[in-house]
Amino acid sequence: MPDLLVMEGINKAFFGVKVLKDVQFRLHEGEVHVILGENGAGKSTLIKILSGAYTLDSGKVFLEGKEVDMTSYNPEIASRLGIATIYQNFHLVPHLNIAENISLSNFPMKKGRIDWKSVQKRARDVLENIHFSIDPNTLVKKLSVSQQQMLEIAIALSKNAKIIIMDEPTAAISKKEVETLFQIIADIKKKKVGIIYISHKLEEIKVIGDSITILRDGRNVGTMGAKEAELNEIVSLMIGKEMKTLEKKHQYISSEVMIEFKSLRRKGFFEDISIQIGKGEIVGLTGLIGAGKTELARAIFGVDRLDAGQCFYHKREINIKNPKEAVQHGIGYLPEDRDVSGLCLNMPVKDNMTLVYLAKLKERIFSIPAEKALSQKYINQLKIKTTGVYQQVKYLSGGNKQKVIFAKWLAAHCQFLVLDEPTIGIDVGAREEIYNLIFDFVRSGERAVLFLSSDISEILSVSDRILVMFHGRLIAELDPNITTKQEIMARCLNLT
Amino acid sequence: MNQNLSGEHRKNWDVLSIFQYLYQQQSISMLFILIIMWVILSLLSPYFFTVNNLFEITLQSAVIALIAAGESFVIFSGGIDLSVGSVFAFSAIVGGLALQFSGSVIVSLMASIGAGLFAGFCNGLAIIKLKIPPFVATLGMMGIARGLALILCNGVPIYGLPREYLWIGQGRVAGIVPVPTIIVIILFTVMYFVLRNTRFGRFTYSIGSNPEATRLSGIKVSSVTLGIFMICGMFAAIAAIIESARLGTMQPASGNGYELLAIGSVFIGGASIYGGEGNIFASLIGALLVTTIRNGLNILGVSAFYQYVVNGLIIIFAVAADQIRRKH
Repeated sequence: MPDLLVMEGINKAFFGVKVLKDVQFRLHEGEVHVILGENGAGKSTLIKILSGAYTLDSGKVFLEGKEVDMTSYNPEIASRLGIATIYQNFHLVPHLNIAENISLSNFPMKKGRIDWKSVQKRARDVLENIHFSIDPNTLVKKLSVSQQQMLEIAIALSKNAKIIIMDEPTAAISKKEVETLFQIIADIKKKKVGIIYISHKLEEIKVIGDSITILRDGRNVGTMGAKEAELNEIVSLMIGKEMKTLEKKHQYISSEVMIEFKSLRRKGFFEDISIQIGKGEIVGLTGLIGAGKTELARAIFGVDRLDAGQCFYHKREINIKNPKEAVQHGIGYLPEDRDVSGLCLNMPVKDNMTLVYLAKLKERIFSIPAEKALSQKYINQLKIKTTGVYQQVKYLSGGNKQKVIFAKWLAAHCQFLVLDEPTIGIDVGAREEIYNLIFDFVRSGERAVLFLSSDISEILSVSDRILVMFHGRLIAELDPNITTKQEIMARCLNLT
Repeated sequence: MNQNLSGEHRKNWDVLSIFQYLYQQQSISMLFILIIMWVILSLLSPYFFTVNNLFEITLQSAVIALIAAGESFVIFSGGIDLSVGSVFAFSAIVGGLALQFSGSVIVSLMASIGAGLFAGFCNGLAIIKLKIPPFVATLGMMGIARGLALILCNGVPIYGLPREYLWIGQGRVAGIVPVPTIIVIILFTVMYFVLRNTRFGRFTYSIGSNPEATRLSGIKVSSVTLGIFMICGMFAAIAAIIESARLGTMQPASGNGYELLAIGSVFIGGASIYGGEGNIFASLIGALLVTTIRNGLNILGVSAFYQYVVNGLIIIFAVAADQIRRKH
C-alpha cells in the first residue's frame, strides 16, 4: 500500500521542554493506525501538529509523496489538504440542523440567496455516504454524542478528507454505538482514507487497528502490526524498562485510621468507592483520564454532590455538603486546574495564601501586619520565588503558584489534603520540591494525603499505598514496594 | 556577608514593586488629571477656584460619590448594579411617605435605608437563587424600583421637609464644611476599612477575581454576594436622603441616569471590569472628576445636552486606559 502520510524527524519543545524528539510516523492508504502512549507521551502534540494547531520546531511532512510547507501551516491549510480531526461536537453548531451544519462552510447559492434545495440534497448525499439514516432537518443539539461523531465523520468525508484523526472516539459512547462506529471506520477504509486513531482501550485496538505506534517521552519507541502485537509487549513499550530516577520514599504504615469513605457513589461517574486513609499516610490514586479520579476528589470535598456513601473522619461520621463544611473539618483540596479554580490570579500572594485562613477565622476583622507576617513565613518556609507578599500570583511560575496553594492550606491548619494532579504542568526540578512538601505535610504522623495522579512513576515513588481506578470503580490496591510500573499500567488499562 | 547581599537584593525588589504598584494605580493618574482640570478651569473662569465653588463641587459630588461607593463593592466583586438610580428614587419616596405618616425624621431615614437594603436584597436573591446574571437581575430591578417609586407617591413629588431633615443636605459644620461632605468622608473611610481589613471585604475582592477558587477555599460565595448587593442598595438610599435634603423634596423621577455616573466613577478610579481589583477612594476621585467636568462645563456655559456625551466618552476612555495598562 502506498504511503499517504510520512512524518520525519518531528521535534517540538514547549518552553524549553522537549515533548517530541525525532518522531517518525507513517500512515498508509486505507489503514487504521493507532497511536498509544501514557498521558504526556506526546500523542496529542503530534496530532495537533498534523492538524495545524501547533507548529513544529523541525521535521518534514510528506502528503502523498509531496512535501508540505510546514512554516506557514495552519488548521485551514490542513483541512484544505484533506486532514480532518474529529473532536466531540467541536465543529458543530448545536442550534442548526444537520443539513445546515453540513453546508456551513460553503452554502450553495442561487441568485445571491441560499439554495435550500441543494442544501437538502447535499445533506442526503453526505449522510447516505456513510449509511447514516437520519432526517437532515434534525437539530444537532438533539443528537447523541455518537450521532454527532458520525455527522462529523460524514462532513469530513464530504470535504474529501484523506486523513481522519480520531482522538479517543469511544470515550463517551455506548458499546452498541462503538460497533456502529467500527462499521463506519471499516467502510471508510475502503475509500482509501487513512485513519489515525488514539485510544487507551487496548482491547478495541486489536479489533479495529491495522498498525500501532507507541510513543514514550516524546519518542517513537515502536511501530508494529496490530494483529501480531502482544498486549504485554505494548504495555512495557508504553512505560519503558528503565525506572525513572525518582527517589522512592520510605513506606509509612499507619496504625490509626484518620478518614474512611464507604461505598461512595455519584451516578455516571463512580460507584462503590471505599477507601481508608490512616494518619501519616499518603494514599496514591491512579487511573487513566476519564477513570473518575477528579470527580471523586470533587465529591469528597463537597464540590459535587454524592448520591450515596458515608464518610468517617476521626471515627465520627460527617456529611460534607459543600466546600465550606469540608474546610471547617480541616479538609483541603488542590484542584487539577490551578489557574481556573485554585487561585485568584490578579490578587497578591498574601491574599491568596490567607483566603482559607480567613474563611475559618472567627473574627470579622483581621490585621494586615499579621497577615503579611503569616504570608512571609510561608514564602520563606516553602521557598517561594516572588518579589514579595504584594506580587500578583499571575506572575509566578507553575511550581510557585502550586506552592502558594499549598501555603493556603497550611496556613489554615488543614489536616487532610486531596491533591489532584499537583505536578501537572510543573517542570521536573520543581516537582521534587512539591513531593517534598507532601512528605513534610505528613511527617508528623498526624495528617494524611490522598494523592491523585496519572503519572505512574510519581504515583509509585510518592505513595504508601496505591489504588487504581478504572471506569469509576476501584479495581486494585497495590503495594509500592512490590508492584512495578508495568503492573500499575496494566491495571490502569484493566488487563489482568 | 552573603546574607547581607541577598537582603539588599530583596529591598531593591521591594522598591521596584512599589513603582509597579504605583504604575498600576490608575487613581494616581486620575488624581493628576483632576488637579490639571481644576487649574485649567480656574484659569478659564474666575468663578471656579473660589472656596464656595470648591465646596459646591464636593457637595454636588457627594450624591454620585455615595452611589459609587456602593457600586464599588459590586464592581470589585465582578458584578454590576444598574438599578442604583431607580433604587435611589424608590428609597427617597419610601422615606418621604414614612415622614408624612410618622412625622419623624429618624423613622423616615430608617425607612429610606431599609428600602435601599431591601432592593439590594432582592437583587442579590435573584442572582444567587435564580442564577440570573447581575446585569439582567439589576436591569429588572431598575424598572421595578422606578415603577414602585411612581406608584407609591402616585407620581406626585413630596414636599415640605422639616428643618432637621434639610440640615442633612444644606447644613454646614462650623459654618463652612457642608454636612454631605462630612458624611462622604466618614463613610468612605469606614468602607475603606471594611474592604481592607474585614473578611467580608477580602471575600468581595476574591469573588471578583475568581468565584470558583473562592468557593473551593471554603467561603460561602452566595451570602457574601447578598451582602454586597445590600450594601449597594443602602448607599443608593443614603445618597437619596442627601439629595432630598438638599433640594427639599423627594422626586419619583430623581436619580435618572445616576447609575451611569456612578459606574463611570468606579471605572475612572481604575477598577477592573473583570473584578478583583479597585480602591474605594479611587472611586471617590472618579466621582469628583465626573462632577468637576459637569461643573466646569456649566460654568463655561456648555449646554447640558453635551454633558451626556462627555460623560459617555469619559467611561469609554477610562476603561480603554485600563485595558491598555493591563496589556503592559
